[in-house]
Amino acid sequence: MRYRIRHTTEYKYSARVANCYNLAYMVPRSSLRQTCDKNSISISPQPAFSNRQEDYFGNISHHFEIQQPHKNLVITAESEVDVNPQHSSLNMDFGITCAEAKQILAKSKSLDVLLAREYMLDSSMVRASDELREYAAPSFTDDRPFVSAVADLTKRIFTEFTYSPEATTIATPLSEVLQTRKGVCQDFAHLQVGCLRSLGFPAKYVSGYIETLPAPGTEKLVGTDATHAWISVYSPTEGWFEFDPTNDQICGEQHIITAWGRDYFDVTPLRGVIFGGGDNPILNVSVDVARI
Amino acid sequence: MSQTQFSSMPPLSLNYSAAAGRADEVFNEDGIAKPHWQQLLKSLQTMGSGTLAERHDKASRILRDDGATYNIYGDTKNPSRTWGLDLVPAVIGSEEWGVIESGLLERAELLNAFLKDIYGPRELVRRGVIPPEAIFAHGGFLRACHGIQTGGEHELILHAVDMVRTEDGSMCVLTDRTQAPSGMGYALENRTVMSRVLPSLFRDSHAHRLAPFFQRLRTKLASLSSAHDQPRVVVLTPGAHNETYFEHAYLANYLGFQLVQSGDLVVRNGFVWMKSLDGLSRVDVILRRVDDWYCDPVELRSDSQLGVPHLLEAVRAGRVIIANPLGAGILENPVFLKFMPAIAKALLGREPRLASVATYWCGQEDDMAYVLSHLNELVIKPTLRSNGLSSVHAANLSEAKRKELIARIKAHPWQYVAQSRLVASHLPTFVGGNLQPRPSILRSFAVASDTSYAIMPGGLTRVGTDEGAFLISGQVGAQSKDTWVISSEPEVSPVDGAGADAPIVPNEAQLISLPSRVVENLFWMGRYAERAEATLRILRTAFILLNGEDPVSESSRRYLLAAVTEITGTLPGFKNCSPELLANPEAELLRLAKDPNMFGSVHYNLTAMLRSADESKELLSSDTMRVINDIRDALDNLETNLSGDDGSAPEEALDPLVTALMALAGLTHESMVRGIGWHFIEIGRRTERGVQTLKILEGLLIDVLPEHDQNTLLEALLLSVETLISYRRRYRARMSVRQVLEVSMLDATNPRSVRFQFDRLKKYINALPRVKSTNAELSTEEKSILEADTRIRLTDLSLLCERDSSDKTRPQLKTMLGQLQKSLADISTIVSDKYFDHKAGPQQLVRRNWED
Repeated sequence: MRYRIRHTTEYKYSARVANCYNLAYMVPRSSLRQTCDKNSISISPQPAFSNRQEDYFGNISHHFEIQQPHKNLVITAESEVDVNPQHSSLNMDFGITCAEAKQILAKSKSLDVLLAREYMLDSSMVRASDELREYAAPSFTDDRPFVSAVADLTKRIFTEFTYSPEATTIATPLSEVLQTRKGVCQDFAHLQVGCLRSLGFPAKYVSGYIETLPAPGTEKLVGTDATHAWISVYSPTEGWFEFDPTNDQICGEQHIITAWGRDYFDVTPLRGVIFGGGDNPILNVSVDVARI
Repeated sequence: MSQTQFSSMPPLSLNYSAAAGRADEVFNEDGIAKPHWQQLLKSLQTMGSGTLAERHDKASRILRDDGATYNIYGDTKNPSRTWGLDLVPAVIGSEEWGVIESGLLERAELLNAFLKDIYGPRELVRRGVIPPEAIFAHGGFLRACHGIQTGGEHELILHAVDMVRTEDGSMCVLTDRTQAPSGMGYALENRTVMSRVLPSLFRDSHAHRLAPFFQRLRTKLASLSSAHDQPRVVVLTPGAHNETYFEHAYLANYLGFQLVQSGDLVVRNGFVWMKSLDGLSRVDVILRRVDDWYCDPVELRSDSQLGVPHLLEAVRAGRVIIANPLGAGILENPVFLKFMPAIAKALLGREPRLASVATYWCGQEDDMAYVLSHLNELVIKPTLRSNGLSSVHAANLSEAKRKELIARIKAHPWQYVAQSRLVASHLPTFVGGNLQPRPSILRSFAVASDTSYAIMPGGLTRVGTDEGAFLISGQVGAQSKDTWVISSEPEVSPVDGAGADAPIVPNEAQLISLPSRVVENLFWMGRYAERAEATLRILRTAFILLNGEDPVSESSRRYLLAAVTEITGTLPGFKNCSPELLANPEAELLRLAKDPNMFGSVHYNLTAMLRSADESKELLSSDTMRVINDIRDALDNLETNLSGDDGSAPEEALDPLVTALMALAGLTHESMVRGIGWHFIEIGRRTERGVQTLKILEGLLIDVLPEHDQNTLLEALLLSVETLISYRRRYRARMSVRQVLEVSMLDATNPRSVRFQFDRLKKYINALPRVKSTNAELSTEEKSILEADTRIRLTDLSLLCERDSSDKTRPQLKTMLGQLQKSLADISTIVSDKYFDHKAGPQQLVRRNWED
């Protein structure tokens, strides 16, 4: 499937911003199942300096610096991307068991496994804990096929947690999400990553877009698509698989990847510092994912 | 080693024998003192204990006057301690040093290659030489720095190593310091002091000089930038509260580089600039003393107050070079000590010459099992060095603490290593009038040079506080020593023949512009010094009059004390106070002198003055530093001196402070170059003196009083503005409001008059650098000054002395004093708006919790 994506971020500040320094992840990267061959980013006001580059994880990052005083900041990213579904042969009932997966991860010196071990470690926003391990453990019995266990965990998060944008902010710790059983896609992705790492499996945080389809017979509205987050998990024999705990899905053509990292902090769509700006800026994000 | 007596000497007052069962630097395996030690100990014995003690005092005095301090974290009351130097040097023979030096060169080269691999291909992880977690689980691995390489021979510019000599006589590395290694400035200061207090001993020793090492450091830093012929190099410090701030200022001065804090730097258009009085100046190279993680709040630690936003981006674009590079802190991971032989084999093809201390990593199962079963023999260390965590000797822990430690290790095994406890070889140290054996640790320094590294001959030696101590650190009060690498023949010195360690001539262009922060601190140093002086004088006046033999009427007392409150800005204080307080003001007056927490007290103002002086330390002469230290000491003793225990009057106890402040003013006047810095101190001083004089006049002269009371207040006024004697000489004993106003306001020859202050302000402000305007219009500050100056010159004294219809106040005087005060406030605001940097701190676009 080929998409054209338009992602607009607007900050309205209550006071003048004298200057700002930012880092944006707003352009889809390429991966095994997707190719982004056209993209551009426009920033208003005009930056004094900007630079595009590939980061540590292979994501596309934009650094920019604005030296003009402003009260509005608008960033528009436009891309075209070809997306394929994941491994067509993915069959949940076969493949290695959880116990085997653990064993290989511990012993193997293969390059893939050595590099995947980075994603078993704590990161600044996701830390392994006994609580997370206890929550996840029932899905991961030793002789269960590993991929099927991950799918089960995905389903459990989907059914046992309530999607609630009011319940959390980006600063809400994982332990609180686990306790209140409420959150948004970022929280659920962090939760699942945390569960997998607590059990000793490598997992990444993936940020991107999801195409939403209109109800049958209705016209698709502009701006209803959204930035989204899900996870990728490593099976030592079959590689990385993406799961979406917010929608209980194995990610497919409708999941378009922007960037991946250890957690949200590595791939925050827009971060940085501003001088001035007052309190409580108003943030508007709109995303359009159109098939072409 | 058995108990050994230093036998070839007659038993004089200074004896040295090794501690039983401890390795000792002085003696060889047979218990005979090594030749170079024999020579040194002989000289020390000839000198005798008394002379050595006297030289030691002299050294302490020089260190204090140079401002050599080491700040102790968490000691808020008295944060800086004078650097401790023991006068018995650590001596190393040059042959022996040659072996150590080649090991250090190899280690620096090895770590340089390793650093290139870590932020490049990571072959050592891919090939399984080191476990992935050794890098990926360490907080010093900065993913944002991946792929940033200068492409030159050296990524690692500076490398320091802490090492000890073990029982078997070989050197053993305890830690590598690659983040922002400290200590080389202290080593240089130790050397400078030694050559001053023990000149002949030092000269005869033929110790290798340190200056060539610093020359190489300077050359290397300047050569890092390919941008221009005269690159601007700055030293980035976290600020005056950092434990090694003395060294930052000292090194910056010695090398001739500007000392800056992160607030002095800004990234604009992708380049790094220093904000200075003449605008922005490009910065090409940064010698950083700020930990890498804190350097850029956009990409690194977002809650950092010490960072420059987008600094990393400027590095990435190759527009600024930082030494050591951001990310270099990863090399300090003690886990690598365990893998060093394997790393050396992979990168150099051979085992390293220098051994490292036996290290066990809890992140590996076998090691963890060993650590848990041998806990009492080990030192447990966190893999990431930070203020909150330090090494623990498990043997010293209570059962509960031990369990807690084990639980912590098990929860985060990657984050702990354990190392064997080493007892370092001992060095003779002058303690309690004799030479005592103390365990020693040596920090050596390497700087990138040509195609390899240059090693400082010797380094910084530190000795423990007790015989057999395991822990040696500046943070627990250890002493340091100069380290002498002794050659058998005198070193061939370069033709220039400059003294032992002559400073390098600074590049003029580099020092012309000062960071705005520095001039702002000088301005406030001037203001606070003057404010403290005015406060001291009015307090002294109050004590003298109230305790004097002439009784002071209640009304005069009320006016005088209210003026004290006004001048110090400590309302309500004595303003409209109760009759009880008025009758017994002493306690409140003492509080105004000594209470450090009371805004406006002498103590408060002087502390603020000292803080400003610390921030601009590198511009002050050593004589000035000595006076500053005297003020610090007088302040520490203020409480005791004011207690009256020795029967002295409070006004006498204040005298030393007044004298020290006068000395400071005199030195500023007599021995400081009339540069921008000097002008700002003086502008601060003149502004404050003007304000204070106007306040006293306002407090004591506006209301009309009966003659006797008026005379008391006039005398108080003259006394506190230091004009009583010249007034008496001119007018005899006759007190009159008119004449007092003439002397204290209008007399252009009286350095304490209001007019004098405006005259000076006009001159100094005209001398400041400014953007030349094309038209003939005066700048706002020039207009304010001209207006005030004219107002004073046109003053009609009779008019000022006029009373209102009810004969109670002098309304014209009141208006005039108010207008002049406003002019001074305006001038101060304009100057600070124009020349100081008032940018508000940054805020993060996305805020989240930091858990670490």
